[in-house]
Amino acid sequence: MARVVLKDLTKRYAGGNLAVDRLNLEVADGEFVCLVGPSGCGKTTALRMIAGLEDISSGEVSIGDKVVNMLPPRDRDIALVFQSYALYPHMSVYDNMAFGLKLRKTPKADIERSVREAARILDLERFLDRKPGQLSGGQRQRVALGRAIVREPAVFLMDEPLSNLDAKLRVQTRAEIARLHQRLQATMIYVTHDQVEAMTMADRIAVISDGVLQQVGTPKQLYEEPCNRFVAGFIGSPSMNFVELKVQREDGMRLVCEGTQVVLDDAMAAQLRDLGLEAATVGVRPEHLRVGEPEGPGLRVSATVDVVEFLGNDALIHAAAEGRDVVAIVGADIHLAVGDAVILSAAPRHVYLFEPQSEMSLGAR
Amino acid sequence: MSVAEAAGLAIPVRRRRLSIHFRPSRLVLNVVLVLVAIFWLVPTISLTVISFRPEGLFGISGWWTVLTAPSQLTIQNYETLLSTGFATGGILDSLVTTAAITVPATILVTVLSSLAAYSLVFGRWRGRTAVFLVIVALLVVPVQVALIPVAQLYDAFGNLTGLKLFGSLPGVIIFHVAFGLPFGVFLMRNFYTGIPKDLLEAGRIDGAGEWTLFRRVVMPLGLPAAASLAIFQFIWVWNDLLVGLVFLGGNPHHTLTIFLFSQTRTLAANYWVISTGAMISIIVPLAIFFSFQRYFVRGVLAGAVK
Repeated sequence: MARVVLKDLTKRYAGGNLAVDRLNLEVADGEFVCLVGPSGCGKTTALRMIAGLEDISSGEVSIGDKVVNMLPPRDRDIALVFQSYALYPHMSVYDNMAFGLKLRKTPKADIERSVREAARILDLERFLDRKPGQLSGGQRQRVALGRAIVREPAVFLMDEPLSNLDAKLRVQTRAEIARLHQRLQATMIYVTHDQVEAMTMADRIAVISDGVLQQVGTPKQLYEEPCNRFVAGFIGSPSMNFVELKVQREDGMRLVCEGTQVVLDDAMAAQLRDLGLEAATVGVRPEHLRVGEPEGPGLRVSATVDVVEFLGNDALIHAAAEGRDVVAIVGADIHLAVGDAVILSAAPRHVYLFEPQSEMSLGAR
Repeated sequence: MSVAEAAGLAIPVRRRRLSIHFRPSRLVLNVVLVLVAIFWLVPTISLTVISFRPEGLFGISGWWTVLTAPSQLTIQNYETLLSTGFATGGILDSLVTTAAITVPATILVTVLSSLAAYSLVFGRWRGRTAVFLVIVALLVVPVQVALIPVAQLYDAFGNLTGLKLFGSLPGVIIFHVAFGLPFGVFLMRNFYTGIPKDLLEAGRIDGAGEWTLFRRVVMPLGLPAAASLAIFQFIWVWNDLLVGLVFLGGNPHHTLTIFLFSQTRTLAANYWVISTGAMISIIVPLAIFFSFQRYFVRGVLAGAVK
């Protein structure tokens, strides 16, 4: 087992395109870290550089305190689970898992033991003689995991391993990977565009956008203290509502625009005053909005209900507030119909403020 | 789910339907197919029958009379033709010569094309596309254009090294390999392009070097294409007359095609030798075709990805 350190890791393509821009990240021994971000943000490129499948333009990758920039993939003591599984179609499940060990000249008896053990863990014993073509998607995914396990690598790398599975299987396999991590206590770096996967499995999440690392932290930290508007919008489902508001100084410090206002509490007001801002981006999560007038300071939106999505325990309300769409999750006991006028509010601790230009969090709640 | 799997599921269903429901359209289709097959087989059948009829009957009655009088069949022609044994210039000698040219030429083209295609598709060097385009451009060069330059080249090589290529089997083999490679590389490269890159990356992580990747991953997956190429190349070289005629000039050993050709020339219409010799000459390509055709299996890639 080993820790992984990325130092100023950069990938620049021939055209000058920066796919990954000075990525710094430390993954502790045995830690499960998710790289998450929208498609094309560079997270897969970063993973492939760690694996050694992509040349590193500048910066450093160390695995277990050894710089591996110049080492070929096979000498990095890693295993990679591909999005496409990448099973050898002409080999049986057994041979697929044994291939890496055979190339390493592991004694036959040891190979046999490792493969049987992995097959037992992944419930693949019945399929060892089959070819990948005769397996279902979920089974193939488990073979791909098995191929990684038998090698007992220092670091597991996974590139969106669940994205080709259907919703139900995805939830199952997600749990399986989490169990696997607990069992092996191995360092895992997991790439996904699905923030739910990241939130449920990771010890820590690294959010990447346009090749730049935005924030690293535990799922709770990212949810509660996003460092900027991108992270705030990316983490959490449905995503955070944002609105640009102007600062109004008369009659106490508040932020307003048509239909929406935020009465600031003292801490927020002080901060806005210190920064001398005339406007701010306000964010509030759908699950923190409630129906009714605010009690004391906080956010108040008056809107008209557009769509009501009943989810069972609660309902998702899409409402229009002066042309802006506001999403709120409200209890199913609150009866709202399309066309109803509604007042939504949120307490100051649930209101996020962002600097409108830099989109950085103002950190005051 | 892959196409092959879908097909695998569909086939039994179709079969069951056929046996349960009688469908007139199917019957008509099958009758037509059988007729077409017979039509295509007639020349081969007639050639076969002629080779088994006595020499003297050729100008007297048609081959189809064998249907009513099968007793006329005899192996006399074969006995006569093979009686010379492996004497230089005889049919068995020609058979050996042809095989000695065709087998190496086929193996070399298949192996070299596969290696070149591997490098063109999975290599990481600059200008791969340009090299491939040049190779494709070579496809249009007619064999005839190269006869004289290559002959001169062989001569120059012979003067320089003392190794005589012109008039020797290696000379013919090299010519066939050179002219088989552009098509071979083209075919293999296009097939290899369809192999997911992920498979090779998985192999690299598993610890495979380039040679292992080629031998253990790419080559097994490319087997259907390699088999097609081998069959094409084998039949092309086996049936070649021009290259053998030119580059074996002065060599007492002939290829089968030259042997048959010489029969028409010296003895105006020596049909019994031609039909019997032709039968002997097509047996090998037929055997090759039927033994390799099982590699034309579709969907070996099923289950590789997704």
